[in-house]
Amino acid sequence: MKIQKLFQRTRFGIFLLFGVIVLSTSALCIYTVDTQLTSEYETNSQNIAKSVADASVDILLNRNLATLQSMIDQFVEIQGIRYIYITSENGEYLAHTFVPGIPEQILASDHSNIEPVERSIPGLGDFLEVGSPILAGVAGTVHVGMDQDEVALKIQRAIGQQVILICIFLVVGVLASIWLVNLAAKPLAELLAYAVNIAGNKEPETSADDLLGRDDEVGDLARLFRHISDQPPGSGAPGTPPENVR
Amino acid sequence: MGVRDGNGQSGDKPGPPSPLLTRRTMLRRGLAGLLAVSCAGWAGRKDADAVLGGLNMVSAQETGSGTGFEGATDDEIVLGMSAAFSGPSRGLGSELYRGAMAYFNHVNDNGGVAGRKISLKLYDDGYQPDPCVRNTMKLMLEDNVFLLFGYVGTPTVTRVLPLLKKFQDEQVYLFFPFTGAQPQREPPYGDFAFNLRASYRQETAGLVTNFLAAGKKRIAVFYQADAYGRSGWAGVRAALDGHGERLAGEATYRRGQRFTGSMREQVEILKANAPDAVICIGSYAACAAFARDAIDRDLRVPIANLSFVGSENMLQLLSDLGEDVETYSRYLVNSQVVPSYEDTSIPAVREYRELMERYDPAVPDELVQESYSPFPQSFVSLEGFLDAKLMTEILRRLGGTPDRDGLEEAVFSVQDFDLGIGERVSFGPDRRQGLQTVYYTVVQEGRFVTLDDWQGWLS
Repeated sequence: MKIQKLFQRTRFGIFLLFGVIVLSTSALCIYTVDTQLTSEYETNSQNIAKSVADASVDILLNRNLATLQSMIDQFVEIQGIRYIYITSENGEYLAHTFVPGIPEQILASDHSNIEPVERSIPGLGDFLEVGSPILAGVAGTVHVGMDQDEVALKIQRAIGQQVILICIFLVVGVLASIWLVNLAAKPLAELLAYAVNIAGNKEPETSADDLLGRDDEVGDLARLFRHISDQPPGSGAPGTPPENVR
Repeated sequence: MGVRDGNGQSGDKPGPPSPLLTRRTMLRRGLAGLLAVSCAGWAGRKDADAVLGGLNMVSAQETGSGTGFEGATDDEIVLGMSAAFSGPSRGLGSELYRGAMAYFNHVNDNGGVAGRKISLKLYDDGYQPDPCVRNTMKLMLEDNVFLLFGYVGTPTVTRVLPLLKKFQDEQVYLFFPFTGAQPQREPPYGDFAFNLRASYRQETAGLVTNFLAAGKKRIAVFYQADAYGRSGWAGVRAALDGHGERLAGEATYRRGQRFTGSMREQVEILKANAPDAVICIGSYAACAAFARDAIDRDLRVPIANLSFVGSENMLQLLSDLGEDVETYSRYLVNSQVVPSYEDTSIPAVREYRELMERYDPAVPDELVQESYSPFPQSFVSLEGFLDAKLMTEILRRLGGTPDRDGLEEAVFSVQDFDLGIGERVSFGPDRRQGLQTVYYTVVQEGRFVTLDDWQGWLS
């Protein structure tokens, strides 16, 4: 019906509005979650490296490497941490968690570096490595490798959950708006049919009581149409609106 | 799963009713709570779960479901044992247990210790640290064993030692663990364990010295990526340092490796370093796999293994290949911490062989998850036998009223004690390891025999 075409713009506007909201919210969410989680994982890795470094001092000084290994084995059980190795002040590898051996990329790296480094190790994956000095570096350095693929997967999951939630809101919002628009369009369509029938001096196809009994603008218009149609033909003078039309 | 076994019997036996909430149980609950909080912060959720399991045990005890006695009654002394009875290292726990039970059964059949039978409360940890920690909490808090005995492995024992320190007021000591690692021999945990066997440091030092003396200067290490492997690695490194040499190379494997797994990567890593000899610090399945792949990939150099490897289990796996066992075993040299069980000139070996034949102890069915064919004799079961023999002597020295308070004193009273293997055993505040001798064995005609002539064997 033509009257519903009036609402197509409204629907389009609603879709557009919701789309903009969803896209902007998703983009903000992706940025926030990605930034915060990446930062959190990096901070956690640095904290772990620092914890290992702090706890290693006495163990290293006592040359108890079995206990040192036992300690780092426990830290590797933490999600996201893929490897840990401890080098002496001379660059000797005192304990590590690599199997079947220490990768060449690690062997070739600066053992005393504590700045975050991104590493890509063939066969193992991509890692963000952070370091922490033991006893200000004079006793060695702890290096913790965080699996970037695993972290990326976790971030993607977190973002995916948020975007799914926003999309659900979008679908519910759009469906609700369509329902509401249809709610407004239906009486207008009835009013149009009523007006067409009056203009053609036909009997209304549906009962006009519902329309005439409404206390909203549609009811007012229906009553106004009825009033105009009830005026004697050729009276010429503008009629007075009926009392029940606001 | 826990099993009590004394005199070959198995199954739990109910103890006297549990006391109500006593000062001791309150202390335990408080300590367990503190441990839970500290461990949760230290090791993450996994350990926290284990510790919370311990808390539940305390609750169970308070509500009367625990055994509720102190490990020594008028009839019985209960020792707690957590070891590998399942998984690729199940042979070690099984053989150690069999050797110990052969002697304990003999003692029990002859009236026990001051009228008390010795029984073992057993748990399987599969040679994994977390189950071992849970088992130990159970043994200490729920089962209230008199002492801990015959634990198997470095990664397991290393994680249990902090528990012993945490509960040091309870004076639960760990006796004769099947590991030569340093943590239970040195501060801060050395005071909570007593060792019988020589250390890995002594074993690796002996191997390195003999290799170097024979001109094998490029020594590489193949080791388990955990505390055990690191302990042996550190021993080899220290021994080489002492001779002005450095490690020629190293390769690792993950704990739990089975014989069917490949060790080719490790072999290639070591081969690239052209070693003159390789010292393996691993379990028998992994070390057998390494020896197999080394020969298959033409790394034909002496391959040494430490006592923990379980020589017979290793040789059995290589024999099961169905090919010439001589090919795979001719390069093996294994260090041992007990003399050869083939040497019947040794009184303790004769006694061991006789009691093993008489009792032929079996691991309780409840603990058997995978089939295992025990050996009539083995180095591991002989060590378990000697552990049990010394343990019995210490319990005897406690007198008629066994009390944990007197345990340390009883151990320190062991001076120049003759275990029957030639080397005398002494303990003291600064001497918490009974034996110091390391033996070396090679394979001849399908069995391990004592190696006396290194030069001759290596030539």
